[in-house]
Amino acid sequence: MSIHAFTSESYSEHDRTEAWQDVLGGFGLRSSPLSARYGEHATALSRASLDGVGLMRFAAGPQVFSPLPRRADLPILLMPAEDGAVLKAGGSPQTIPSGRIILLPRQNDWRVTFHRDMRAIVLSVTAESFGGRKINLPECRDAVIVAPEGLADVLGRTLESASEALEKLSPEAWNTIRLSLAEMLLTLSRQKSSSAAEAVGIGTQPALLQRIYDAIERKLGDSDITPARIAQIEGISERYLQKLFEGSGDNFTHYLRERRLQRCWADLGNAGEAHRSVSDIAFSCGFSDAAHFSRSFRDRFGLSPRAFRQQQAERLSGLGVKAGQRGWPQDAIAQLRPHRAAPMIAAAELEPADLAPRSRDKPAHHHLPIDANHVHWGFFSRELKPLIEIASGDTITVETLSQHASDDPERMILGDEGAESVFRWTAQGKGVERRGAGPMDASIYGRGAGEGFGVHICTGPIAIKGAEPGDVLEVRILDMVPRPSRNPALKGRIFGSSVAAWWGYHYDEFLTEPKPRESVTIFEIFPGEEPHAEAIYSYRWQPQTDPSGVLHQTYDYPGIPVAAETIRRRHGVLDGIRIPLRPHFGVIGVAPREAGLVDSVPPAYFGGNLDNWRLGKGAAVYLPVSVPEALLSIGDPHAAQGDGELSGTAIECSMTGTFEVVLHKKADHAGQPFADLTYPLIETETDWVLTGFSHPNYLAEFGAKGQSEVYAKSSLDLAMKDAFRKVRRFLMNTRGLSEDEAIALISAAVDFGVTQVVDGNWGVHATLSKRLFANQTTR
Amino acid sequence: MKHHLLPVSPSNVQWGYFSKKIAPALTLKSGDRATIETLTHHANDDHERMIAGDPGAESVFRWTKEHKAIARRGAGPTEGPFIRGSGEGVGVHLLTGPVAIENAEPGDILEVRILDVRPRPSCNACHAGRCFGSNAAASWGFHYHDLIEEPKPREVITIFELDTSGEPYAKAVYNYRWTPQTDPDGIVHPTIDYPGVPVDHRLVQKRENILQNVRVPARLHFGTMGLAPAESDFVSSIPPGYTGGNIDDWRAGKGARMYYPVAVPGALFSVGDPHAAQGDSELGGTAIETSLTGDFEFILHKNRDLGGTIMEGLTHPMLETDQQWSMYGFTFPNYLAELGANAQTDIVNHSSLDKAMRDAFRKLRRFLMTVHHMSEDEAIALMSVAADFGVTQVVDANWGVHGSIRKNVFMCT
Repeated sequence: MSIHAFTSESYSEHDRTEAWQDVLGGFGLRSSPLSARYGEHATALSRASLDGVGLMRFAAGPQVFSPLPRRADLPILLMPAEDGAVLKAGGSPQTIPSGRIILLPRQNDWRVTFHRDMRAIVLSVTAESFGGRKINLPECRDAVIVAPEGLADVLGRTLESASEALEKLSPEAWNTIRLSLAEMLLTLSRQKSSSAAEAVGIGTQPALLQRIYDAIERKLGDSDITPARIAQIEGISERYLQKLFEGSGDNFTHYLRERRLQRCWADLGNAGEAHRSVSDIAFSCGFSDAAHFSRSFRDRFGLSPRAFRQQQAERLSGLGVKAGQRGWPQDAIAQLRPHRAAPMIAAAELEPADLAPRSRDKPAHHHLPIDANHVHWGFFSRELKPLIEIASGDTITVETLSQHASDDPERMILGDEGAESVFRWTAQGKGVERRGAGPMDASIYGRGAGEGFGVHICTGPIAIKGAEPGDVLEVRILDMVPRPSRNPALKGRIFGSSVAAWWGYHYDEFLTEPKPRESVTIFEIFPGEEPHAEAIYSYRWQPQTDPSGVLHQTYDYPGIPVAAETIRRRHGVLDGIRIPLRPHFGVIGVAPREAGLVDSVPPAYFGGNLDNWRLGKGAAVYLPVSVPEALLSIGDPHAAQGDGELSGTAIECSMTGTFEVVLHKKADHAGQPFADLTYPLIETETDWVLTGFSHPNYLAEFGAKGQSEVYAKSSLDLAMKDAFRKVRRFLMNTRGLSEDEAIALISAAVDFGVTQVVDGNWGVHATLSKRLFANQTTR
Repeated sequence: MKHHLLPVSPSNVQWGYFSKKIAPALTLKSGDRATIETLTHHANDDHERMIAGDPGAESVFRWTKEHKAIARRGAGPTEGPFIRGSGEGVGVHLLTGPVAIENAEPGDILEVRILDVRPRPSCNACHAGRCFGSNAAASWGFHYHDLIEEPKPREVITIFELDTSGEPYAKAVYNYRWTPQTDPDGIVHPTIDYPGVPVDHRLVQKRENILQNVRVPARLHFGTMGLAPAESDFVSSIPPGYTGGNIDDWRAGKGARMYYPVAVPGALFSVGDPHAAQGDSELGGTAIETSLTGDFEFILHKNRDLGGTIMEGLTHPMLETDQQWSMYGFTFPNYLAELGANAQTDIVNHSSLDKAMRDAFRKLRRFLMTVHHMSEDEAIALMSVAADFGVTQVVDANWGVHGSIRKNVFMCT
């Protein structure tokens, strides 16, 4: 009996596919690529006993499963957690609804195709799993999708809960569960076996249903298709047809819509169909109303048909497909270009200076001042139009604002033209309307446009010329200076704010009344010798009515101007305490590869809200580029923060940074510390700091639900595992150590610390001192 | 003030447990100092380098078919038949002590100052004067079920040499995979499941030239220091708890002060598990385990005198260095009380950093509120902007997170 946790993050790029095949092989499965994205990520947790019961839950990228030929045994059970997998076994393809059990014979010819990121549960039981009892193997020739009724329903639920609890089950509990699982699978496969069907004479039903499926497939483009017409074709009554569908756990209308959407999905992603318009494709699949189609498609797949098509095109263009090979032809991409979706925010036009041709011999210096048109607030998106394009090696000065400046507008906004433009908010509207990745109409909570699902004011994005997915972007902080108050009465002084907020680690366990409460502390920053911060006053958050008239009981939306008369300032707080400064940027990130808007709060592979105070002057972060031109954004400036960022914020203080940005093309990575980089890597003068997260790629791991699941499922234990795997990989790949050497070294010399426990995707970082290798001359 | 000497010998060490029931090896007064020798329980990973010729070490590790100098190793059963050996390896550290402090009573705090730490050089003529240590990537390591290279799973011993000629550092000498070892009593140890099993070097394959050109900066410290708990007569030395024990924080080296709540009369301090270097987390299960000798000063703070000091309200171990104070959070702050009768074996199933973080947060908040008289809001604000939380260890069953606050934050009080 053993519990095995697998993640592709442990392996170097070359070894990932093989390692994943090994894991699948244990369950009689084999995987083949669906696209070049294959092997990008996979995580799995499995538990197996020696007698042959294995249960695994996993998440992975698009791919095709087929059987690893084995001797006859009980069928493999697969249960996808998301819609859209397609089973092909002999006849026409069947889509597999989420949560449905599929029984897959170990030898026959079948394929299960996952077109998108997927999560699923797999159960493997062998004839030896029954405590020595001899069993007659049910004859399972065909792969079947089982309707969720009776035993299948019970088994499905058991699998779900058992796979969730896999790590926590005691050996005894696991023993009981694995026996039950084996028995249930045996009974279910007997019920569904070919011999049983023939014996009781119901073999005609599946055959008939199969013919109906085929008929539907042929008529998919016919927008007038009805159950009556299909029934007529097959010479049965409409009622019987409906009954057959019910028996399969589906209904005609749903099945038909699903098949149509799936076919559109395939066509939209197919390079060969690139010349056809979206509505053309919709029409050919039986949708008569383009708007209705667009809505249904978005409901089903989470993005519009157009956005999906663009995503596919860009994904492939980023892969550098060579002419003459299979896949997307170059000319199709060219045709798609004019159809690019409109930028999501109206960004300023490129500055004239940047359009002027200049010598590439010398690095240029750029300046990105703060302004409502130069920021995106609370989200990242690959669809944002860049403000400026710079070349590798250029330097750029970027002004950033703390989203907490509005905690004391008099000190941190007033008189500051740039800050005023960003924070402008009157009854008529805002300088920056969208704040967060939520809906613009605030239809979820009514907090405001974007719903505050993401809070950071990010300056950018900055396009890096020639950057492509697979490259690494080095962002080095040459200088950082705080942004002094422009209020004439306070001119030149520097202020910051720290909020003990409802998302803080402490929030559900206050000792003193009132419980709970939010508290804001305003600090003054003294950057001179022995740079430090001192608290000026604090106040408890009081319900604030924003200029649009929305009442905010808690700090639930960024940039709400706090009205001085609504709060009571307490002076003399943190008396005699001087907080040593650690100026750094909380947020440095490139655009994630996933489409749509991504909440700025949880950090992940693309960087973002790292909240690591080591990322200050002199330090650099290496980020894996995921989209063309990288799209770099910077924000969330901090004057000081502790490891943990316990209350939810640091001393948030507007700052201006000067950065050197260097693009490392994929071809030049060999032998570099950032070779095979799939996460943000921080370099300081003395250390390498590797960033581990609860869920290193939560957007892929959880699929469409990622942006909420990551908040629910964060844990330091998971983040610690991730940090360990990353530092092991780093030592093995970039230092050429064996696994044994790497582990000995980690134990003796690598320090693991808590980065933050407040950003949804909790972080643990591993600090590796450069001194360890000071003696190495090679490598 | 008196200066005492406590060398290692079978009568001055206990192996694998803390106990309020054993007679003190030394009794001293508050303010006294003592030089205490400690041995690593991993010395038998390379007997030739770490034991041979060293009378103290030889006397403690002596184990033949006829004679086992220290029979009991661990808090487990001492009546056979044994699965692994007497004490069953429920606790593994060789601890020197206990040292009783006159007049110490439950409720008091014992402050232990580490004045100096020195490595114990090899006495073997071939290696005389050189210092060695052993690192085991063991079955209780964080990595053990998450290995990527074959064979899986496996345990690996890496022998290091400590170079103290300049800025001290450790360098790997060779490594080997653990193979089943038969102890002198005939019990086979397929994994590292019992401390002090002599490794037969004919049964292992040494690999040289490992970790080439890698120098691990030394951090000499004691992994295990603590007082006897009150809850049980014999308490495994592995999980740290409210009286200290196997905290495994590398900051507990020269110049550091540790504060422990006294749980039994006389306090009964023991020290062992000496380390030449360790990272925060001790990921593989052990540090570079190296025999060390320390100079300690003991100061007893009576319960009535604690008010207004940094020890006011202290119910857990606390570290003070020149730069900072650290509070030790654990999965269970007092696992012996919280988990009941089977606590010492049960604790392994509950390890969690998340709980340890929660505990560290609470302890640091209490420290700031009680000792520094902050309001709760001030304490939380300060922790967010100036306190650092780190992973102490993820291998000692009762996992640890330490919360540290720098002293210079308070400079102008």
